[in-house]
Amino acid sequence: MANSRTDKLRRGALEWITASQLYRSIFRHGYDDTVRNRALEVTSNAFLHLHPITIPHHAIKVRFTYCLGGLTFFMFLVETVTGVLLMFYYRPVTEYAYADMKTLQYAVYFGMVLRNLHRWGAHLMVVLVMLHMLRVFLTGSYRPPREFNWVLGVNLLVLTLLLSFTGYLLPWDQLAFWAVTVGTNMAAATPFFGAEGPFHGLLGVDGTNDARFLLLGDVRVGGSALLRFYVLHCVALPLVAGVLMVVHFWRVRKDGGISRPL
Amino acid sequence: MHRGVCDMNNEAALQQLVELSRREFLARGLTAAGWGSFAVVLGAGTLETVRFFFPRVLYQPPSTFRIGTPEAFLARKGEADEYGVIFVDERWKPEQRFFVVRAKDRVYALTARCAHLGCTVNWFSSLDIFKCPCHGSQYHSDGKNFAGPAPRPLDRLRITVGVSGDLVVDTSIIYSVERFEADGAFVALA
Amino acid sequence: MKQPGETRITSERPVAQAFGAMPTGRPGDVAVFPYLVYIEFLAALLFSIVLLVWSLTVDAPLLQEANPGVTENPAKAPWYFVGLQELLVYFDPWIAGVMIPTLIIVGLMAIPYLDTSTNAVGRYTIRERRLVISHFGFGFALWWILIFIGQFLRGPNWHIYWPWQDWSMVKSAEATLWDFPWWVGLPALIAYFGGPLFLAQKRWPWLLERLGMTRYVGAVTLALLFYGVPIKMLLRLLFNVKYVLVTQWFNV
Ligand code: HEM
Ligand code: FES
Repeated sequence: MANSRTDKLRRGALEWITASQLYRSIFRHGYDDTVRNRALEVTSNAFLHLHPITIPHHAIKVRFTYCLGGLTFFMFLVETVTGVLLMFYYRPVTEYAYADMKTLQYAVYFGMVLRNLHRWGAHLMVVLVMLHMLRVFLTGSYRPPREFNWVLGVNLLVLTLLLSFTGYLLPWDQLAFWAVTVGTNMAAATPFFGAEGPFHGLLGVDGTNDARFLLLGDVRVGGSALLRFYVLHCVALPLVAGVLMVVHFWRVRKDGGISRPL
Repeated sequence: MHRGVCDMNNEAALQQLVELSRREFLARGLTAAGWGSFAVVLGAGTLETVRFFFPRVLYQPPSTFRIGTPEAFLARKGEADEYGVIFVDERWKPEQRFFVVRAKDRVYALTARCAHLGCTVNWFSSLDIFKCPCHGSQYHSDGKNFAGPAPRPLDRLRITVGVSGDLVVDTSIIYSVERFEADGAFVALA
Repeated sequence: MKQPGETRITSERPVAQAFGAMPTGRPGDVAVFPYLVYIEFLAALLFSIVLLVWSLTVDAPLLQEANPGVTENPAKAPWYFVGLQELLVYFDPWIAGVMIPTLIIVGLMAIPYLDTSTNAVGRYTIRERRLVISHFGFGFALWWILIFIGQFLRGPNWHIYWPWQDWSMVKSAEATLWDFPWWVGLPALIAYFGGPLFLAQKRWPWLLERLGMTRYVGAVTLALLFYGVPIKMLLRLLFNVKYVLVTQWFNV
């Protein structure tokens, strides 16, 4: 086999590619299974280098992390990609938003599949992040010295839920409208800062300057609310979540690597 | 500290102290000014950002609706229920989100906005109650809450007799339970 | 279970040689590339397949265009908030919508600062952490139970409909609710929040000793606030109680 002509050709072609200046300018390591290459494969790769070079054996057991944190992050990536694609057709204006949903469904190739991926991916992400939290809790991994990373994690949990909730309004259908009406009316019940909350009189808060107005940009769910939720959903919240995720991953390593039994 | 090492009787040392404390004074002053302006910039930035989200002008749809003459409401006859309500008119609910209630001696406009979290309540004439689909609040025909999480009765809207003789409802002026007897919360029927 | 040393990635060279000599590794550590990276890759692949099949077979919902005049009946929040929506039945909005979420978030963040023990880290164990796990587990379960009730048992007008009941059946009016008078409610609340501070001290004397006063009071208060939620729900369900305490400014 090793001497067959096709095999020789294949090896030749591979060598020609991996020896080229172009290839070597991108990948700075070989593929022989050596210690050096294994280390370089991680450290010379911008994406992989968040990882350490070596890791305790128990940490790669699937039955320890169940990959839940990693999969949550993967879902975030899926949401980013599919979300950016959806933005090519979607206009956050009450006159168009609903129609654009229909356009995606009936007039765009794979538009519906993309919408489904984005929607179900979001659901999956919410489930995964909750299970990840449960795993971290059950393994006691929030205990010192990992307290602060747990706090970061709680923030990520909240952000994940907020991302889902802001996205929920965008199709501008009945489901969206009423879920958000109820959700934002709760903001109006905030003590002190909500127009219908206890003690709102003390600060002179009414319907036009309270916490709900801040969310809606109006006294009821309408065009400004749609725009505000759109900006939060597509720009502000993903940015914050992205930054926090980087810090979260960095802290996993700085807090002594993934938790291990003594 | 510099003070500890200087001899008070020595002119040169005193001079040194003055020099030093001036420098120190300057340094402290600069520090205070620096942190002060930092706080001001941060505060101003926060304030601007928050204020930015509350525009000066809101573009609202018209809020007054003519609903017909008092006589038209007087003409429809019926038995009053135990809350004094003769009938609940649903005609304006789908578009304008309010009900018009004809009671024994008055008409008033009841908002369809649930007093709990603002869903639109529905009228069940066979049960003689309003029900909210969101968290199950229930109200009697006069808007009094009796079950579910609603904290107060359904609000009422301003209702007056306009120049044309028609009843006019203004959905932007709201009367909650304390002001149900106020001027404008109802129109008395002869 | 294969030992890492026995796993091979290429047919030519046993990985074991590479292992012992990883420059930064402790004994027993494995190389991240390929072992961890491959697992991550496979997990992502598996989930991509699941998600793709799911998206090809089930369409995301899209109802009628938004219409402020007609509320969906029932109007449900997205499922992950349905648990909170369910709480709205039992609590005023400022509690269910603002205080409870805030306390959940603050409470979660406080966990590592209240439970500062460092044993039993990095492995699954119930025996050594029975107390913490049972409280957290109850909270986690309650969250999902509320979601289940809201999502599957609530029908039109937010009445309870069992799965075999038809939604077109109109349910009649509910019982009228009543409130505790203040001279019952206020002492009850004070006893509820004060009493267990001493009782827990009796039952688990080591708790105060280990946690110190601040942590002890914080932990017990958070736990009481949390258990107050199901207790208030039961008061409503069994005795039609609307408020435990009515004041001029707010009701609890
Ligand atoms: C967007 C959400 C999140 C992402 C993408 C994420 C991602 C990750 C990843 C990739 C890890 C490495 C280990 C693993 O996969 O389990 C990790 C560890 C960790 N996460 Fe998260 N996480 C998120 C949310 C959370 C939440 C909600 C919590 C807790 C409330 C949390 C607390 C932690 C802690 C304490 C660790 C260290 C665990 C250990 O050392 O064993 N994270 N996270
Ligand atoms: S909005 Fe009507 S019961 Fe909650």
